[in-house]
Amino acid sequence: MSIGELINGSLQAYIAVSFLLFVVGLSIVLMRRSLLVQFMGVELMLNATNLALLAFAKWRGGDVSGTVLYILIIAVAACEAAVGLALIIGLFRRLGSTDTDGADALRR
Amino acid sequence: MSLTPNETAAILPLAIPAVAACLIPIASLDRDQSTQKWIRAAIFAIAIIALGASFWYTTRIWGSGMQPSYRYLSLDRLAQFAAIFVQISAVYAVLQLWDHLHHEGWVKGEILALLLFSVVGMMLFAATSNLVLMFLALELFSIPLYALTAIVRVRTKAFEGGVKYFLTGAVASSCFLMGIVLLYGMTGSFDLNVIAQSLAKGVLDPLALLGAALLLMGFVFKVSAAPFHQWTPDAYEAAPHPIAGFMSVATKGIAIIALIRVFGAHLVPIAEIGSRAQTAFAALAVITLIIGNLAALSQTNFKRMLAYSSISHAGYLLLGFVAGTTEAHQAILFYLCSYLLMNLGAFGLLSAFGLVGDDTQFRDMRGLGWKRPGIGVAATICFLSLAGIPPTAGFIGKYLLFKELILQGHVVLAIIAIVASLVSVAYYLKPIIAMYMEPPKEDSEPVIAPFAGATVLVSGVLIIVLGLIPGRLLDGLVKPSIIQVQGGAADAEVEVVEISLEELSPNQLKDSF
Repeated sequence: MSIGELINGSLQAYIAVSFLLFVVGLSIVLMRRSLLVQFMGVELMLNATNLALLAFAKWRGGDVSGTVLYILIIAVAACEAAVGLALIIGLFRRLGSTDTDGADALRR
Repeated sequence: MSLTPNETAAILPLAIPAVAACLIPIASLDRDQSTQKWIRAAIFAIAIIALGASFWYTTRIWGSGMQPSYRYLSLDRLAQFAAIFVQISAVYAVLQLWDHLHHEGWVKGEILALLLFSVVGMMLFAATSNLVLMFLALELFSIPLYALTAIVRVRTKAFEGGVKYFLTGAVASSCFLMGIVLLYGMTGSFDLNVIAQSLAKGVLDPLALLGAALLLMGFVFKVSAAPFHQWTPDAYEAAPHPIAGFMSVATKGIAIIALIRVFGAHLVPIAEIGSRAQTAFAALAVITLIIGNLAALSQTNFKRMLAYSSISHAGYLLLGFVAGTTEAHQAILFYLCSYLLMNLGAFGLLSAFGLVGDDTQFRDMRGLGWKRPGIGVAATICFLSLAGIPPTAGFIGKYLLFKELILQGHVVLAIIAIVASLVSVAYYLKPIIAMYMEPPKEDSEPVIAPFAGATVLVSGVLIIVLGLIPGRLLDGLVKPSIIQVQGGAADAEVEVVEISLEELSPNQLKDSF
């Protein structure tokens, strides 16, 4: 299969890949115990929505509003990353690791 | 680009706190802000004045009866109600923060800037029916809240709670976003009116249903209803007390109000979504009531108890969506008003008693009711109101909700809710017992907390007033909000828009301002 065929694939294929990425991201957040990896899982979920969004926008004849939301999502994800990484670094300075098993002070 | 007075009126209530939020970091640049009292006072004054001005402007718009709009931003009656709701809870939080941060010995300006950005996001969240703007508003109020949870950097627990809140919140935002994208993909629009019309035609695609479900999940997370409630106790325990109070009231309230707009007014009228949504709401409400109340019973930490109590209140509020009528939505809004007073009063109690850091166990409160009788009585009223005991506002709110539930034939749900609120009396009595029945701790220096104390007292008085004469709030504020949104949802929408345009000639606007 050539690259052209891949890019011009059907909407269903794009949505299926997007759902797959979304589920993978979600399971990373739920199952992994390292904060940084969990954070990457969140980013993967956001990018899965981006993929679905662009596929839908293309399917609707290159709808501009969908493409605009895509750019907004990237900006928002960057803002989220700024705050999230700051929190993770803060916790790392306190605990000396980014392992969520160490972050159990609130459970005691 | 020039704006008409109508457009200016729509933007100003949001613009005022946004500008103030940008000013506050400049004012707090000084490294000596923890030593210079006048700088701290100026920072807090900016926040209070901005919130006050925005509140004053919103009430003027409400009084004049107009519903200004600018592009996707439409400040209709429900949005105005939401704005007033958020502004009042933010004023509560700022006043309590002044005392609480001084007790903690950690006064910084950025906490207020973040709070104000969050306020802007919340007002925007309730004031639009465009899903793109709604997502941006959701992030605008969530991201500052993640930071606010962990803002007192001297505490390890603060970071832990902040990270947990951030991770779960980011997942919920992603789900919310996926819901938006799926609805957009199935209908080709981000506008709720168009989406609802498009979905109402023809057979419902499973993807659209999935989209609606994911959207609902995002809301349920923000409302902190089970099974998406685990972040709540951790985040509330980590956050400074007034911020925890603000999160519990404003986030929940704004998510409920947006739920009324998105589901109540637009998606539920579509039969195929409506019936499933009703089942989902009923299931969520029952699980939330059971988990929230049972978990609250075993808590020894006052803040965690309040967190589980706020989860169970989310259950009562969701029951209103099961009934789903106009009256039920009005009951939800009234319940939110009483919830604002009683929960911010209960969280304010911690600041008023000067309990800092981790000293939020019941045993830290023992005997304090006798030391500070006024605040003790007002806080007792707040707890009784949370438990739903007459003649408080909390009782009226529950009465209105349960009445509507029974009228709609959901008797079993109403019985579960009544049993749940009877159980809740047990854990709301704990702080009262601690305050009055146990001997006080060894003498410490007296706590100075004028503003936090005042907020608790005002809450206590207002709860009793609302409990005795609920009619004015109901007729004046709650009923108009819902009538308008229902009118906007039905076919009469075009009519409503025309009328409001006629009413809004520029001259009239000049007269009213």
